[in-house]
Amino acid sequence: MVTVLSDPAQTCPPSGREASLQRPLVSFARPLPAVCFSTPFPTTATRSYPTSHRKPAGPTTGIFQHRLLHTSVAVKDAPNVPDFSGYQAKSEATNRGLSYFMIGSLGVLTATAAKSTVTEFLSTMSASADVLALAKVEIELASIPEGKNVILKWRGKPVFIRHRTQEEIEEARNTDWKALRDPESDESRTKKPEWLVMLGSAHAMDLTTISLNLEIPQHDFNDAEGKLVVG
Amino acid sequence: MSVSTIFYNTIVKRNSVFVTSIFAGAFAFGVGFDIGVTAFWDRWNRGKQWKDLRQKHVQEE
Repeated sequence: MVTVLSDPAQTCPPSGREASLQRPLVSFARPLPAVCFSTPFPTTATRSYPTSHRKPAGPTTGIFQHRLLHTSVAVKDAPNVPDFSGYQAKSEATNRGLSYFMIGSLGVLTATAAKSTVTEFLSTMSASADVLALAKVEIELASIPEGKNVILKWRGKPVFIRHRTQEEIEEARNTDWKALRDPESDESRTKKPEWLVMLGSAHAMDLTTISLNLEIPQHDFNDAEGKLVVG
Repeated sequence: MSVSTIFYNTIVKRNSVFVTSIFAGAFAFGVGFDIGVTAFWDRWNRGKQWKDLRQKHVQEE
């Protein structure tokens, strides 16, 4: 719509308000093709501008020249760079040490969390405490005389409980157990020397040549009630 | 030599040492955290747990 601002009186016949514009508002060096519009003019370009602050312009020469050289100073974006020295690290070595310390600390926390996650997930697969409590077997120790065996069934397997005599204990303890095929001391296999609790696992029993000691199930003595709890 | 430089030169410089010390630290931290939380729990619930009450109970019987 700028074209409208070129001298409308040049080629177009003056009509109405346009005729009052004696001079072009913008003088283009290269004369643009004049566009004539039939009145009424549709756009805002046809508003009548106040003429009071218009600079008087000379007649158009028609000579256009590219201005390739100019002497104006190039404007910098930020001619005054702020002072960042207050933000810079006092000591690079301290900075580096602190950075790696933070990295290492985060690694420690992550490793702990990962280990905890795996452990907790695996513990969901094991039997819960109430199930384990049901799977216990109690026996009154007073009902087993010295030198006698009792066989219990515990989790589908036989458990042998022997009330050992003093000679048996001494014999077991004096044996050179380190020379045995499966060396285990009698002290490590019994919680109380007079009670030997062994689990008859089918795996060990079926072997024609028993090469391993019978497994010791988890067991506890309830001294207050004189009971043995297997499980 | 500052602490940070000693830390960097002894632990961080070799990645194998760094990773190993992180795992060792995680183990130690896990154990210590467990002990700390258990101690806090026992202190917080002092006199309410069975292991605190058992002695009194057994003596009465």
